[in-house]
Amino acid sequence: MEPRSVIVGRIVWTVLIVGLLYLPIISIVLASLANTRFIRFPHRVWSIDAYREALGLGLTYDLQWTSLKVAICVAFLAVIFAIPGALAFARYSWPGRSVFQKSLLLPIFFPQSVLGLAALVTMSAVGISPSWQTAVFMHLVWVVPIATLIVSIRLYGFDVAQEEAAFDLGATRLQSFLAVTLPQMMPGIVSGALFAFLLSWANLPLSAYTSGADSTLPEWLYSRMSTNYAPMVPAVSVLSIIASVLVVMIFQLIRLWWRRHIEAGSD
Amino acid sequence: MEQSARNGLIAVIPVALLLLSGFALPLIFIIFTGLMPPRSFGLLEDPTLANYRTILEEGYWRPIMWSLGFAIATTLVSLALAWPIAKALVIHAGRFASVISILIAVPVFIAESVRLFGAHLFLMPKGGILAGTVNALLGIDIGSILFSPLATLVGMIYIYLPFAIFPMTLGLSQVPPEQVEAAKDLGASGWQTVRNVELPIALPGILIGGLLVFVLALGATAEAAILGGQSVVVAVQSIEQRFNYAQDWPLGSALATVLCAITALVVFPLMRRLDIDRLFRR
Amino acid sequence: MIAARKPAPAGEPGSRDAAPILSLRGLTRIFGAKRAVDGITLDIAEGEFFTIVGPSGSGKSTLIRMLAGLDKPSSGEILLRAERINDMPANLRPTCMVFQSLALFNHMSVGENIEFALTMRRVDKTERRRRAHALMDLVRLPHEFYRKSVVTCSGGERQRIALARALASDPEILFFDEPLSAIDYQLRRILEMEMKDLHRVTGKTFIYITHSLEEAMVMSDRIAVMREGRIVQIGDPLTIYRQPGSRFVAEFMGEVNLLRLTRGDGSDWRLPDLGISLPRLLDNPAEGWIVLRPERLRLLEDGAHADVEFPGELLNDYVLGPRTHILLKSGSRTFVSELGGNSTPPSIGSQVRVGFNLSDAVVVTE
Repeated sequence: MEPRSVIVGRIVWTVLIVGLLYLPIISIVLASLANTRFIRFPHRVWSIDAYREALGLGLTYDLQWTSLKVAICVAFLAVIFAIPGALAFARYSWPGRSVFQKSLLLPIFFPQSVLGLAALVTMSAVGISPSWQTAVFMHLVWVVPIATLIVSIRLYGFDVAQEEAAFDLGATRLQSFLAVTLPQMMPGIVSGALFAFLLSWANLPLSAYTSGADSTLPEWLYSRMSTNYAPMVPAVSVLSIIASVLVVMIFQLIRLWWRRHIEAGSD
Repeated sequence: MEQSARNGLIAVIPVALLLLSGFALPLIFIIFTGLMPPRSFGLLEDPTLANYRTILEEGYWRPIMWSLGFAIATTLVSLALAWPIAKALVIHAGRFASVISILIAVPVFIAESVRLFGAHLFLMPKGGILAGTVNALLGIDIGSILFSPLATLVGMIYIYLPFAIFPMTLGLSQVPPEQVEAAKDLGASGWQTVRNVELPIALPGILIGGLLVFVLALGATAEAAILGGQSVVVAVQSIEQRFNYAQDWPLGSALATVLCAITALVVFPLMRRLDIDRLFRR
Repeated sequence: MIAARKPAPAGEPGSRDAAPILSLRGLTRIFGAKRAVDGITLDIAEGEFFTIVGPSGSGKSTLIRMLAGLDKPSSGEILLRAERINDMPANLRPTCMVFQSLALFNHMSVGENIEFALTMRRVDKTERRRRAHALMDLVRLPHEFYRKSVVTCSGGERQRIALARALASDPEILFFDEPLSAIDYQLRRILEMEMKDLHRVTGKTFIYITHSLEEAMVMSDRIAVMREGRIVQIGDPLTIYRQPGSRFVAEFMGEVNLLRLTRGDGSDWRLPDLGISLPRLLDNPAEGWIVLRPERLRLLEDGAHADVEFPGELLNDYVLGPRTHILLKSGSRTFVSELGGNSTPPSIGSQVRVGFNLSDAVVVTE
């Protein structure tokens, strides 16, 4: 057994670091609770006027809407790609498989800004103008590998004999897949969709170059932070934080509900 | 089995097409554009290495060096900070680990710019959250690290630390506790156990975490912009400037290509060693 | 002395006179340079419990997968009631397989698993449920299990579910790929008995593969011993045990003493391991080995005699529950002898005399 001081020290360290992770977020909340042109903390006058303004601003909703549109499309399309991708990654043996496995990781281990820029260059060379649709496409390039990995993890634990058994019992190959393999991939698919959604929602670098005139929320914040500051900027930020956290919580609840009612005990 | 090989080849098509058109193709374009004459547009000119010469001769290598330096520093510090946390998560797996994991993960899904904005507000001198609180409580004026390379580094560590923590935790979770006990039983000291038992087994996870942080930090720009101000120009900022203000796409592309090359140099050797199936099958 | 017995030709269908339900003709499966299954020809009678035993890597799994339709033969024929079914895929064959891992559908309930084959055939819900309940009775699963998730079931319960599922479509032949290999001893004994009962009650043809001799002996009507892709002997359990056709089969079937048998001077025979000459032999056997089961090599009390006697030093004894084996050394060889009934073994290190009768010895030539 390790000395008690080491164990306690580690836990204290962990709690400390995690707390530090939240300092900036707390800072934004604190900064939003005033209505002065410049930040002066502690505030003389605490108010939630900034929120009133933020909520009344149509722009806020537009920005959230674009982020939402893109994120939903990405989540949906990512799993459509991830399902066959995971089958190729983890289920079947085929020539070139290990090359594929390693290549799939490349977009993850890659500077996103460079990818965004490269996309911009390509689009202009080919003659496509950036829009929220191109943003969806570029998000997918980065997100699909991650979603594929998540679904693959489920597949690695899957007893392939089940598919053979289904076939032996009278199912066609397609029926075997739909009745046996796909349902057991479902938890991974749901997780993959969730990750895809959240990663897209919070993304800046790729969006910056590829969404063109349809600005996403992170982009707008980024531009307002450096110039033209107003208290409603942190207020809008806080609202987007709340939205993110809500989305995470909703999906966690969906997953819990899914486990309890659909999986009935497995996992 | 033949059937399996056929199925695999068919199944890979959608993702392969996506990656070829969305990843490989843009990269090829960028590399080519980097070879175009300076300040030109389109890809129909004669290829030249003029841009690379410019990078070396006119100091455009500096932002790349800054980014490289930041990336290395961020990686090393993040890994060091993450180690005790990863150990805690593995040893106290269960309620504690679940809660802490969620707490660490949630900020990752909040936009980077929002979090850095918060850090900026926190570190601001005089009216900032930290400075203002200290001033109000203790009457001291503490100044600020804002608008310095240090602030940029701190920002990067802040953003990328979770990316070091999770893979490292995964790597450490592969170490069977019995082996650690056996080592201690055979007389190894704490440090010897770490070096001879835990590190080798956890190494893939650690390397993946380190690599991820390195690559992400290499391509980072928001920290320098929001926290570093004018004090430092990082690689991607320089690239962006070439694209937007200077309208010099070839030079910007050449810089981007250099960044890609550095990334490839670091990523490929690791990829070679990685046995994906063994990693996932546990 | 029992004459040397050549291994029974692998094509012999056994003592049944009915037409075989399954016939294999020169069945072969080649993987690259390796002949996993090498020219197997045999007939299996309807309603038999036919077991194929062999060590790991002998090709039994490959063989049974071809019979089930999960793998294609490289050459040779599989005939179901004289009809060639090589090209018939597994989902169309009137056969069902119980897999080594059982391969239960983890996300489904017990009832859904059992009914799967019926669901595929679009049998209606009430009928499916009725059949499922009947099968659950047959394999002794309580009806309450119907909605239970299979992941929460115990090992023994899972075995029963797998059996019920395989029986649901009323197949003509059931294949078993070492289903009991992961079960502990107690449960295995129970399940072996139940499987034998199930065979009797349903009257179907069971084709079973295992590496465990005991399992094969307990349940089978006939056993085929497989080695490196070929069948080396077929027969009923007792015959194979008592009259193995080769050293391999003798050793595989259980503990055995092997004594080299060579020609001596003139018409004498020699046992070189013991340095003994045998002037008298009944038939005219060839050179080879004498196969002697431990229970045929007896400890000789003072005054007792046997055809062939020799001394030895007691090295060790093993209490195997109802029997006790003693390990003794004679010359440069060790031998195993079984003690009768309730006798206590002599102390370790003591000199003993053992012997056997020629009428108990079997000679094999390879």
